[in-house]
Amino acid sequence: MINQYAPARSNRAQTNRAQTIRAQTNRAQTNRAQTAAAQRRSTLLAAAAGLGLLAGALVWGLTANRAHALDIVDTPFFADAVAAGTLAPVADRAPREPLVVKLDRPGQKVGQHGGDIRTLMTDAKDTRQMTVYGYARLVKYDRDFELVPDILKSVDVEDGRSFTFTLRRGHRWSDGAPFTTEDFRYWWEDMAHNEELYPVGPPAFMKVRDAYPQVEILDEVTIRYTWDFPNPDFLPGLAGASPNYIYAPAHYMKQFHVKYADPAELQALVEKEGQRNWSALHTRRGRLYRNDNVELPVLQPWKVETPSPSDRFVFSRNPYYHKVDVNGLQLPYVDRVIVNLTEKKLVAGKAATGDLDLQGRYLRFDDFTLLKQNEKNHGYKTLLWRIAKGAHLALFPNLNNKDPVWREVLRDAEFRRALSLAVNRYEINRVVYFGLALEGQNTLLPGSPLYKPEYREAWSDFNIRKANAILDRLGLKRRRMDGLRMLPNGEPMEIIVETGGTSTEETDVLQLITDSWREIGIKMFIKPLSLDNMRRRVFAGETLISISSGWENGLATAAMSPTEQAPISQVQLQWPMWGQYHETNGKAGEPVDMPEAQELLDLLDTWYRAKTDAEKRQIWTRMLEIQSENVFSIGLVAGVLQPIVVRDGLNNVPEEGLWNWDPGAHFGIYGMDTFWWDRDALKLTQQ
Amino acid sequence: MLGYLAHRLLVMIPTLLVISVFVFVIIQLPPGDYLTTLVTELQAQGETMSQERLEYYRKEFGFGEPVVKQYFVWLFGLLQGNLGYSFEHELPVADVVGDRALLTVIVSLGTIIFVYVVSFPIGVYSAVRQYSPGDYALTFVGFIGLATPNFLLALVLMYLANEYFGTSIGGLMDDQFKDQPMSWAKMVSILEHLWVPVIVIGTSGTAGMIRRLRANLLDELHKQYVVTARAKGVPAGKALIKYPLRMALNPFIADIGNILPEIISGSAIVSIVLSLETTGPMLLRALQSQDMYLAGSFLMFLALLTVLGTLISDLALAALDPRIRLGADLAK
Repeated sequence: MINQYAPARSNRAQTNRAQTIRAQTNRAQTNRAQTAAAQRRSTLLAAAAGLGLLAGALVWGLTANRAHALDIVDTPFFADAVAAGTLAPVADRAPREPLVVKLDRPGQKVGQHGGDIRTLMTDAKDTRQMTVYGYARLVKYDRDFELVPDILKSVDVEDGRSFTFTLRRGHRWSDGAPFTTEDFRYWWEDMAHNEELYPVGPPAFMKVRDAYPQVEILDEVTIRYTWDFPNPDFLPGLAGASPNYIYAPAHYMKQFHVKYADPAELQALVEKEGQRNWSALHTRRGRLYRNDNVELPVLQPWKVETPSPSDRFVFSRNPYYHKVDVNGLQLPYVDRVIVNLTEKKLVAGKAATGDLDLQGRYLRFDDFTLLKQNEKNHGYKTLLWRIAKGAHLALFPNLNNKDPVWREVLRDAEFRRALSLAVNRYEINRVVYFGLALEGQNTLLPGSPLYKPEYREAWSDFNIRKANAILDRLGLKRRRMDGLRMLPNGEPMEIIVETGGTSTEETDVLQLITDSWREIGIKMFIKPLSLDNMRRRVFAGETLISISSGWENGLATAAMSPTEQAPISQVQLQWPMWGQYHETNGKAGEPVDMPEAQELLDLLDTWYRAKTDAEKRQIWTRMLEIQSENVFSIGLVAGVLQPIVVRDGLNNVPEEGLWNWDPGAHFGIYGMDTFWWDRDALKLTQQ
Repeated sequence: MLGYLAHRLLVMIPTLLVISVFVFVIIQLPPGDYLTTLVTELQAQGETMSQERLEYYRKEFGFGEPVVKQYFVWLFGLLQGNLGYSFEHELPVADVVGDRALLTVIVSLGTIIFVYVVSFPIGVYSAVRQYSPGDYALTFVGFIGLATPNFLLALVLMYLANEYFGTSIGGLMDDQFKDQPMSWAKMVSILEHLWVPVIVIGTSGTAGMIRRLRANLLDELHKQYVVTARAKGVPAGKALIKYPLRMALNPFIADIGNILPEIISGSAIVSIVLSLETTGPMLLRALQSQDMYLAGSFLMFLALLTVLGTLISDLALAALDPRIRLGADLAK
C-alpha cells in the first residue's frame, strides 16, 4: 500500500516498485500456477500409481493359486514326471497355505530331498505302522504333547462341545483329487449312517451321552460338529496313533457304494473280489489306516505301492503332501520307505548286521548289547529312548477271581500292600535292566505335570519285616513245617502268576520275585501261557495274579482322559469283569461292588463333565491318590529303555526321545517326514 | 499191474478223507476261532474292536455255525478245487500260497539232491571200506548232523555265513530282490542263501540214508555170487556196481515216499528260524491264528502230495526190482 504521507519518490522508483510488485505477483501467479500444476501432476501420478498397484494386486490375486508366500521346491524324484507332463508342478500340487515346518528344536537341521529308508516288520499287517509313523492327522500331538492342527488349517473349540474345522484350500489327496468337506460329509452321511456299513449305527467315538453331534457344512473348507455336552475325547481321538477317521476319499469310495455306483458294475466288482456283498467290498477297499489297498488315495507322507501278498512293501512319497520346510522344500525329505518282512527273532540280528536304516519296533532292551557291539562295523548308532508306559511290568491281582476265599484275600488292600513291599525292585532293576530303569509303582512318570514322587514310592520300598507284620496282622498264619502262610480255610498260599507271550523277560523278573515272596510265606509258581490263553483265563476269573505292562500313557496331562484308572474295559487285568460290565453296558460281567473302585468310576464320569482345567486336575489328583493307596496293580519297573537303530547319515532323529504308542505314535511326533540323508550317505541308500 | 494201481488209487480216497477229518478237528480244537485271536492281537497293540463289530464279522465268516456244517462246506469246496479264503491275508488261499510254492520247491529239491549226492558215495565207501578210519569219520559227521537240533545248526551256519561271507541274515535272497522278476543277480543271491537250509535239513536225511545204504550193501557184498564173481576175475569196480549196488539201491527209491514229508515238515522249522519265504512260516502263522481254510487246505494239499509220492515210490520200486514185481505172483 502506498503511504500517502511518504515523500514522493521519483517516477522511476515508483515504476520499479510497481514492476517489482508486478513481477512478484507474476512470479506468485506463476508459482501458484506451477504449484497447482505440480499438484495436479502429483495427483495424477498418485492416481496412476494407485491404479497401477490395484491392477497389480488384481493380477497377483488372480494368479494367487500359483504364488505362495514361499517358493515351493520340488524333489528330483518327480523331475521326470513333471517334465513329461504326467504330474503337475509342485506349486499346483501343494495346498495354497501349506504347513510350514520350522525345524527349530535343538538338534534339528533343515534338510534336503532324496534317499530311501529301509525298516523291518514281521507281518503283512504291519503296513499299518506306516500310517502311525507318517503321522499325518487332522490334529496331532507335537513334541510337548500339545494338540496342534496338522491337516486342518485351524480348529475352533467353543465350550468344549462345538468344533469348527477349517481345511486348507487346494489340499489334494495323493491321487490329485481335491480334499474338501465333501469327504467328511460322505463319511458321516453315506458311511456312518448306512445300515449295511455300520449295522449298529455310527461309531461310539462320535457319541456323547448317547447323542450324536449336529454336523454343519459351512462351505467347502469349513465344517462344524456340535454336541450338547463337552467332548474332551474328540480331538485326542483324531490325534491318536490309530486315529478315529471322520473322513474318507469320497471320489474313490463312491464306486463301491450302492447309492452312487452302477448296480451292475458294483455287482461285478463284488464278485471279482470274492466278497459277500457291496458293504464288505466297500469296507475292505476303504481302510485308510491299514495301507492294504494300493489304489486308495491317502493324505500321509508316503503311499503304499506294493500290493499284497508280499514280503517287501515299498512306500513312495505323496506328491500332494501338505507340508513344506522353511526353505520351501516339499516334505517328506526321504523319497521312499521300504518295509521288509522277516521273523520276529531275527530283527535284532538284521539290525546288527546293517540290513536296515531305522528301527524301533521289535527291538528290546536285551538286544542292546548286540546292537552296541556291531555299531562301528556296520555303520549305525544305537539310541536309547524311554518307554513312556506307567510301568514296563506290573503284577495284576485279579479282584474278580472266582474262588471266594482268594477273592476276599486279594480284595484286601493291606494284602496287596504286603505283596508290594516284598518285591525287591532294586534287584530286578540291576539284574535285568542294568540299573537303567525306574523303580516304583504303576503310575505316572516324572515327565508328567501331574506327577508326584509319592505316587511312585508308595509301598515300593523293600521291607520284608513290614510285609510280614501286615500279613500277621491280617491273621494269615504260617504253617509249622515250611513256614508257608495259610489261607483262612487252611490251604497253603500258593500263587500262580501267569504270563502271556514268549518273552523270557517276564519269567526272569518273576524268578527274582519268587525268592523274596518266599520270605513272607508265599510260594509263587510261574505259568507261561500263550497271550490269548492268559487273557481268556483272566477274563474268566481263573487267574490269581497276572503280569503285564502297566498304564499305556505314563505322561498324561489333566486334559487327557483318565480312563486307564477306572474299571472301564475287560482288558484291564486287575478287574476284567467290572470292566466288561461297563463296556457292554451291563450285558456281561459283574457290576462294581467295591467302594474305592466305584469312586474311581464316578470320578471318571465327573471328569467328562468337567468344564475347567482346574477341575480336571483335581479329579486326576484324587484318582491318583486312590490308586496309590489301594495298590490295585503292583508296579515293578518303568522307564525301561527302548533301543532305536539309526544308520549313520540319517539326520533329525532325536538323540533322546519317548517311545510311546499313544500319545507319541512311536516315530510320529518326531516327524519321520523330516528325517533326511546326508549327501554321502544318500548314494549308499539308492538301491 | 493195472489192478494194483487201481487198488492203490482207490485206497487213497478213504485215506485222504480220514486225514481231512483229523486236520479239521485238530485245527478247530483250541477254544475260540480266528476272531478271538484277532481281537487279542488288536488289544495287545492298544486297539480295540467293539462287540458289535465282532458279532458282525462272526456272522460274515460263518463262525457261528455248527462245526459239522463248517467241515462239509470246506470239504465240498476242496473237492471243487476251491481252496477257500484266508481271513488273515484276506485273499483266496491259492493267491497266498502261490508265490511261496516255487521257493519251497526249490528248497526241497535242493535238499533232496544234496541228500542223494552226499549219501550215495559215502554209503558206498563206508560199505566197501568197512571199519576203516574214513568210514568212521564220515559216519561220525553224518551222526553229528542227525543229533544236532536243526534250528541250532541253522542259527550257527547263518551266523558263520554272515561273519565270513557277508551273507545277509535270514531269507532266501537279499531284501532288494524280493518280488522282483528272476534275474542273474537274484539267482546268485538265492544260491548264496540256499546252502544253509539245504545243509541243515539235508544232514539229518543223509545220516539215515548212509546207514541204510551201507547196511544193504554190506549184506550183498557177503553173498555167494559176489565171491564167485571176484574169484572168476571180474574187476572190483564192475563186481561192485553191476549187481550188489543195484540191490542196495532199493532204500533210495523206497524212501522217496518218506523223504518228501520229512523234508517239507523238517524244513518248516528251519524256514521259521531262518525266515525263509517258503510255506513253513505261512503255515505256522495260519495255525496260530486258526485261519482255518489256509491251514486246512494247505495241509490237505501236503497230504495229497505225500500219498501220491508214496504211490510213485512204490511203483518206481516195482519197476526197479523184479523181485517185488514177481514176488506178488510167486506168493500166489
